[in-house]
Amino acid sequence: MDLFVRKVRLLFVMCLFSAIIFSQISNPLPSSTSIAQTSVSDTHNWAAFNNVAMLGYIEKPELGLLFENRYMISELSTKNIQFSLPTNSVNVGLSFSHFGYSLYHEMIAGIGFARNFSDKFALGVQFDYYSAYFTASNSYRGAFFPLVGLAVAFSPVFTAGFTVLNPFQTNIQTEFVTKRLPSVFSFGSQYFFSPELVWRTQIDKEVSSNYRFATGFEYQMLQKFNVKLGMYCSDYLVSCLGIGFITHSFRFDLNCDVHPLLGIKPLAAIRYSFK
Amino acid sequence: MSTTEQIIADIFEKFTAESDETIDYESFYDDLMFCAENPINLNQANGDGLGKLQFLSEIQIENILSYIYEFGAMQTIYELQLVEGLDMTDIRRMLPFVRLGESDNPKGKIYWNDLLKYGKNEFLFRLDKGLETKEGYRFTPNEDVNVPTLNSKLYLGNELYNSLKYRFHYKDRIQVGFSGEKDAGEQFWGATNKGYDFYSFHAQLNNFGKFRTIVLGDFRANFGQGLVLHPEFGMGKSSYVLNVTPRSSGLKRYSSTDEYNFFRGGGVTLKLGKFDVSAFYSNKMIDGDTVNGTFSTIIKTGYHRTLDEFSKKSSVNQQIVGGNVTYTNMNLQVGFTAVHTELNNNLIPDKSVYNYFYFSGKKQTTGGVFYRYRWNKLNLFGETAMTDNGSVATLNGCYFSPVSQVSLVVLHRYYSPEYDTFYASSFSETSRINNESGLYIGAEVRPFRKWKLSAYADSYRFLWPKYGIDAPSVGNDYLFQADFTAKRNLTMYWRFKYEDKQTNLSTTGVVMPVVVPLQKSSLRYQLTYSYLNFSFKNVLEVNLSKQSSDNWTYGVIASQDISYAFPRIPLKMDIRFQFFDAQNYENRFYSYERDVLYAFSIPMYYGLGSRYYLNVQYDLNKHLSLWFKIAQTVYSDDRELLSSGNETISGNRKTDIRLLVKYDF
Repeated sequence: MDLFVRKVRLLFVMCLFSAIIFSQISNPLPSSTSIAQTSVSDTHNWAAFNNVAMLGYIEKPELGLLFENRYMISELSTKNIQFSLPTNSVNVGLSFSHFGYSLYHEMIAGIGFARNFSDKFALGVQFDYYSAYFTASNSYRGAFFPLVGLAVAFSPVFTAGFTVLNPFQTNIQTEFVTKRLPSVFSFGSQYFFSPELVWRTQIDKEVSSNYRFATGFEYQMLQKFNVKLGMYCSDYLVSCLGIGFITHSFRFDLNCDVHPLLGIKPLAAIRYSFK
Repeated sequence: MSTTEQIIADIFEKFTAESDETIDYESFYDDLMFCAENPINLNQANGDGLGKLQFLSEIQIENILSYIYEFGAMQTIYELQLVEGLDMTDIRRMLPFVRLGESDNPKGKIYWNDLLKYGKNEFLFRLDKGLETKEGYRFTPNEDVNVPTLNSKLYLGNELYNSLKYRFHYKDRIQVGFSGEKDAGEQFWGATNKGYDFYSFHAQLNNFGKFRTIVLGDFRANFGQGLVLHPEFGMGKSSYVLNVTPRSSGLKRYSSTDEYNFFRGGGVTLKLGKFDVSAFYSNKMIDGDTVNGTFSTIIKTGYHRTLDEFSKKSSVNQQIVGGNVTYTNMNLQVGFTAVHTELNNNLIPDKSVYNYFYFSGKKQTTGGVFYRYRWNKLNLFGETAMTDNGSVATLNGCYFSPVSQVSLVVLHRYYSPEYDTFYASSFSETSRINNESGLYIGAEVRPFRKWKLSAYADSYRFLWPKYGIDAPSVGNDYLFQADFTAKRNLTMYWRFKYEDKQTNLSTTGVVMPVVVPLQKSSLRYQLTYSYLNFSFKNVLEVNLSKQSSDNWTYGVIASQDISYAFPRIPLKMDIRFQFFDAQNYENRFYSYERDVLYAFSIPMYYGLGSRYYLNVQYDLNKHLSLWFKIAQTVYSDDRELLSSGNETISGNRKTDIRLLVKYDF
């Protein structure tokens, strides 16, 4: 029992510490496979709970799985599954994410709709339901909030993206605590120097956290292999590395963020495109 | 997708950007909308007519007039491209408000049948409500011994704002209107008040025989550069760097709901050859804190929500008689304006250092001479005014366009500390025309196609302490803006502004006044683009401010606007999400936002939070239109109360809804 209590206490301290150091509200939102999480303008990659407008660029049905671990602590892991279906009128996306472990976990599920308007711009909206387990009341509490996204292509090589998650700043109120849900405003751009080399920049502001400035390059070194390099800065400067493979219908991504204080945050993702 | 309404809104936004001054948007909108319904015939236009298009600079107006004088009547509107100093953005802005045509007969006889057949009627009904209950509406339970005292400070009426307007016009010859308004908190029907709190009626006839204008009811009188009389929006420092002096629009109907800045009575303007002669008389009640036949302040808010505010309503009678004579020929305009104001109670301001020279007494007479003179490429303008206590205000300047790509303006003003008159409004650092001298230089350069650079520098001095500055002080203002029109549907600009002035040291316990420097700088980027029925706007602005030797503090604001006009149904909608983070009050932002017809809002943002709104317009049929707006501000900086006094809201959210119905027939 002592061991269990110590483990819970340690995890609580780690969560709190990581939340303070990482300067983000603890949340189950999965990272994207875009380097340095510069997904707001990444037209080639719809990442669940990131810019939903990118769902509009999907041309084939896709199923994706993602696993992300924070600083090599198994209890601080995020698991995500997403499915996207293009249709003639709007593209539809379903996503589900789980963070935590049996004694403390947060979940978020969403259904998104997006449309690409003649490659000039794409608009999307997603309806999310967040729920968390509160030990004090031994119950789940949840809240709905929207996610709105926009991407505008000013030229074939330059795109700007904008997204806002939980714009109404919905929180969960229990008898004992108020659980603040993330409310994030993001703006970013994507520029293709050549078809092989893309540069992205992004600014995020979660209302209760510091600004996050991110930038990164992705280079398609070989036909089936790409490398990624980037960084972001919030309180600390975090370097990001990644690689990607594409084989037939599969796409694999391995990313790694190196936090100077907390350590490594690895991410692995696999995506399957239906014929 | 640029509807006339959007063009007017964009122009207004440019005038008000970063401004904390209240501009009467209703009149501004009304004037331009009237021009859209009765476009100006360019081939017959004069300076006064084109002057209604406030977004055109004096140089541009001169250039249009001299083009028509030199080359004759325009055959096509595309000829505007040949006029010096007009770019495609200016022309696109002008298009809804101008036309080309044969000479009209502006003084033709009007028949009753024509009035009934071609006259246009407009009926507007508006409701506003805040969804959160404010402190002023919470009545104290009766068992409290202090109930009478406490409740006398609370609002008498309900939380609804309501206005009702009716207007009729026949071309630009006859305009008649009526309006009633009740502010939120004012009583509509009860023991204290019955009916609307404010009523207004106006009638204006144009070009009837020798009478150029006849106004009855509520009206305004704007003459010269505004040093004597200009109750309307006076131009000042804005990103229209060349538009620095107000337009002399003469006698004009008043149809707004501002409860102070107008006259009530009647007036006429006679056209006698090259002379325009105007005379008017106004007799109205104004609000003041009157006690024993004296009052210290004129209350201009128009709020009568509590017993205390109600007791000050219409407690002072103000009579104004005035006149103007203006001579105009090809290159010269010169005029004389005089106005005499008489109050039935003595105005005696509570004396403190900053208002030592403010007007006190019952009577005041002010007179002024203004001029405009065109000499080669120089356009000289100015006005000098004097009140009956011998104090002087003078403003003199010059527009100059040496080559078509470059336009310049220089303006010098000197307003003596003793000069203080009731309805003056002109170029000034503050809203009051007194106690200021300064030199303004503005330039607009079009170095390359698609690019426009605008800049101004203003150096000014307050000769006597001002409100919030307890010693004579100096200041400088600089603005630089680069506009880039990449394509017809893609425009952007960068605006840098720097301000260096003085302010009181905000430290409590200081016995002697200490004035310290206050520096502010801001950088704004705005991107506007459209595709099919969609239009988008992004704004990103950061500012820095520093008082004395304190550290710099910052502010950030970012917004995304999406507008959409449905192709198959007459429905338009605007959505905005805005995030703001202003560390200090000095880092505050003002941001214009879309609203229902004839309404405007430029909320101030300070602290950390976000704001979003939805604005919808639906035309039920060709006669009936509906507007609806819902907006919410959420603060994330842990504040538990918003605003103060009776306006206090518990919580961190403020939500407003607004509904407007328009019926045309």
